[in-house]
Amino acid sequence: MVFTDNPFIPATDFLPPSYLQAYIVLMVLAVVAGTVFDLHRKRSAEFFARQQQRSRVAAVRQLSGAEMAAIAARTLANEVATSGEFCNRSRRVSHLLMSYGFVLYLVTTLVLVFGYPADPHTPAVLPVLWNVGILMVLVGGYWFFFFLRVNVAHDGHSPWRLVRADLFIVALLASVTFALIFEVVTVAQNTLANRVFFGLYILFSTLLFGSVAWSKFAHMFYKPAVALQRRLEEANGSSDLPASATAGEGRCPPSPT
Amino acid sequence: MGFFSSRKIRFVDADILIVGGGFGGCGAAYESRYWGRNLKIVVAEKANIERSGAVAHGLSAINCYMGMRWGENQPDDFVRYVRGDLMGLVREDLVFDIARHVDATVHKFEEWGLPIMKNPETGRYLREGKWQVMIHGESYKPIIAEAARKSAEVINRIMVTHLLMDRTRANRVAGAVGFNVRDGAFYVFRAKAVINAAGGASHVFRPRSVGEGMGRTWYAPWSSASAYALLIQAGAKMIQMENRIVLARFKDGYGPVGAWFLLLKAFVTNACGEHFEASMLEEMKALVGKYAETAPLPTCLRNHALLQEIKAGKGPIYMHTQDAIDTHEKETISWEDFLDMTVGQAVVWASQNIDPKETPSELITSEPYVMGSHATCSGAWASGPEDCAPADYQWGYNRMTTVDGLFGAGDTIGGSAHKFSSGSFTEGRIAGKSAVKYVMDLAGSPPQVDEAEINRLRDRIFQPLATYAVNRNEIVAGSVAPGYLSPLQGLQRLEKIMDEYVGGVSMFYVTSGPMLNRGLELLRMLAEDLEHLGAEDLHQLQRAWELHHRVLTAEAVTRHTLFREETRWPGYYYRADHPKLVDPDWHVFTASRYDAAENDWQMSRLPVHHIIA
Amino acid sequence: MPTFTYMTRCDGCGQCVDICPSDIMHIDPVYRRSYNIEPNFCWECYSCVKACPQHAIDVRGYADFAPLGHSVRVLREEAANTISWKIRYRDGRVKAFTFPIRTTPWGSIKPPSAYEAPGADAMDSPLLAHEPAALMVATLPSLPPFDPKRG
Repeated sequence: MVFTDNPFIPATDFLPPSYLQAYIVLMVLAVVAGTVFDLHRKRSAEFFARQQQRSRVAAVRQLSGAEMAAIAARTLANEVATSGEFCNRSRRVSHLLMSYGFVLYLVTTLVLVFGYPADPHTPAVLPVLWNVGILMVLVGGYWFFFFLRVNVAHDGHSPWRLVRADLFIVALLASVTFALIFEVVTVAQNTLANRVFFGLYILFSTLLFGSVAWSKFAHMFYKPAVALQRRLEEANGSSDLPASATAGEGRCPPSPT
Repeated sequence: MGFFSSRKIRFVDADILIVGGGFGGCGAAYESRYWGRNLKIVVAEKANIERSGAVAHGLSAINCYMGMRWGENQPDDFVRYVRGDLMGLVREDLVFDIARHVDATVHKFEEWGLPIMKNPETGRYLREGKWQVMIHGESYKPIIAEAARKSAEVINRIMVTHLLMDRTRANRVAGAVGFNVRDGAFYVFRAKAVINAAGGASHVFRPRSVGEGMGRTWYAPWSSASAYALLIQAGAKMIQMENRIVLARFKDGYGPVGAWFLLLKAFVTNACGEHFEASMLEEMKALVGKYAETAPLPTCLRNHALLQEIKAGKGPIYMHTQDAIDTHEKETISWEDFLDMTVGQAVVWASQNIDPKETPSELITSEPYVMGSHATCSGAWASGPEDCAPADYQWGYNRMTTVDGLFGAGDTIGGSAHKFSSGSFTEGRIAGKSAVKYVMDLAGSPPQVDEAEINRLRDRIFQPLATYAVNRNEIVAGSVAPGYLSPLQGLQRLEKIMDEYVGGVSMFYVTSGPMLNRGLELLRMLAEDLEHLGAEDLHQLQRAWELHHRVLTAEAVTRHTLFREETRWPGYYYRADHPKLVDPDWHVFTASRYDAAENDWQMSRLPVHHIIA
Repeated sequence: MPTFTYMTRCDGCGQCVDICPSDIMHIDPVYRRSYNIEPNFCWECYSCVKACPQHAIDVRGYADFAPLGHSVRVLREEAANTISWKIRYRDGRVKAFTFPIRTTPWGSIKPPSAYEAPGADAMDSPLLAHEPAALMVATLPSLPPFDPKRG
């Protein structure tokens, strides 16, 4: 049944499973290569290393290994795991839906394509979770795209106006949307339709993973790193921000607007 | 054109429309709601009322507070002080009216949560000087904005470009038009009364810093002369437009000097350490006669002394901060003075390694500004308080201009100097109450907008967007296009014309009849070129209309400067061909009225009555 | 001293775009984060700096006259009704200050319509709202009628 069957099986009618697996490996390499290329071209690793050095020099106190580990754990728990950095609740929720949904979708895709490449008796839980992941991305993503993007919500842009910063979200939404459409279309068992929609799915997935150097994809790696760095600077006294008068609670100021 | 047919148009009907959500507008909102419980009151604000206007940073002092409750000052004394500072030419009825009400405004501010510093010995407000009290004023504007939001409907990000006139009766206002800076919607406000509380004029004269630094004008860069241009276009009578203000402030950052002079008792010398002001008394008497003996010395004359010293090559002029702050408390107050209202000066100190405890700071005179809420009083000729204004100073509603139903507060009102924040809010309150009375008296015959005029204005307002888009096709790229002028290009031309011909800093504020006439020629060509403004986006469209308002105001300034054939305020500007103060001939207000249909200016004089002995 | 936005700290929330009195904080089309589009119209009012929840906006003094290497940073805390500043000089000296910003809770102002409505007498008098009580003197000052022959 659709949604409980392995969605990749119909693709194996026209593509050997090894091609699907090779594609996934290629996409992983594309993300790594894109990130490395971006770091190299922007010399951002050099910049980040310099900032860390400055912070060490300006540190008022040196942090112990245990302290740093605790800070890293807090960063993981707050900024990474729960997107606690966001002060706007809608953005936080939509971001969590998209990020966990995407991770769920990716992991289940890997398991489906590598573990059960052509298996008609794939355990139903896997396709269900694959669909749940897609649904989370679609809900969080379209909500973000139409209502929450800051240039739309605050800067007067029409939601239909696309800018370079939209490359990631558009590619992501197109990719998972066509994944879902492909899955539903396979019910009709029309070979042409299957090929067309699978083709679109692959096209936008390739765009998504291949454009890492030009999209906001790589920020998913940069953001946790800078969140950690910020907490370290606060802790070691090298931050040039004034100390809080309220012992730091209430980080998100109320907005008058 | 079809291109604009999809543009949204929003009609807003109101009993009272308040243009501008600064201190004047917030006062108008509060008071008009108090008296008009069931009226529809709308504030149209160009930016965000939370931080809009001249008090965006905050303030470190309230400069207009009598302290009647403690017998510190009486309104009469304030009138004498202000009259002295303006070399005799103020609307004494308007100044008295502000002074008698302003204490109530300040007490309400304290009640709302503005922290006013207290004198530890007396328990009274800590005086900075005779009229000024010190505040912890970083959140001054947000506190006042809260009061306004609880009084009226505030619509942010609306640039009001023109007032609308009543089509059923001549010389009566009917509303305003403008556009939403975020989404480009065309706004039509239909109102029974309009209170103009928009900002005065910065960026009419070329500022001293011309790169990034042009952002650090003394008055807010977003004070784009809408206080004047909206009224001039509507045919209101304006006075004292030649009365531009020049300020002696800390150099480059333009940080405030009030607390330094009055509270911390700092002194100023030239580069050789000489106290120069006192030695100029005879020279000043030769220019302005007995006015040189006014105590305290008028602001313009203090400028004059500083200027003469600089011209003689005896600069830099230094404020000896290091001699004034000998305690930790004084050091803290001196930093708070900047951080509450001109953070940029603190940045200058930090960037140039200036610790006020150790090193003196340079003073300079600024480029000229045109305003009505500070030490000068350019603005509309307005009706005064019914209970004490002379007969020829009132025509029925306090703070109503010569256009029926059109009121003003703050920079907008002429002759009403030394208001500052508390006085502007107070004037807003006065205008608010008057507007409510006016609306109630209108009863069944409200003004009617003219639909044809609205359509014409809509096309005109958005024209720069089309001009840019179409003419862009002529060039490959870049900022130079024969088919349009960008708002910044137009602004820089305006600032150069005014600086060179109408008495800006490059001329040490000197001008003359021939220079002013040449300035008018160049301003005329600039005004024509404004028809070719090209705006790339809505932000640039806002800049384009700000430029329109500045250019119209600049023409008024130039014509008034030409009309007054004397030098009344040396230190603000000088007529080289009429270098002295001439009483009684010029002991008058200069007045102008612009006829937009005929593109014609009528100049006249209005009497100065000395109501207070 | 115009503003700039730190790439690593801005998460594109739009508070600065909403608050800027000069309409110069906008969203960059490549990174979807804020930046100052017109530093020559920046007054350094610090409204955006104070409003940013991530402390992502800072000021670098105007290049016309401010040498590099300084920092003036701020933390505005409505919960405590304080504002704290940390100033670092080009030569490394540091100064820090905290000042109060309000004595009452935010949102606590009594709206004008919550007061008893004024009567017709008050409407016709020169008294403004809450007067004469708010003046803290017995009566509103006035002037005798003006005699043109005097002045």
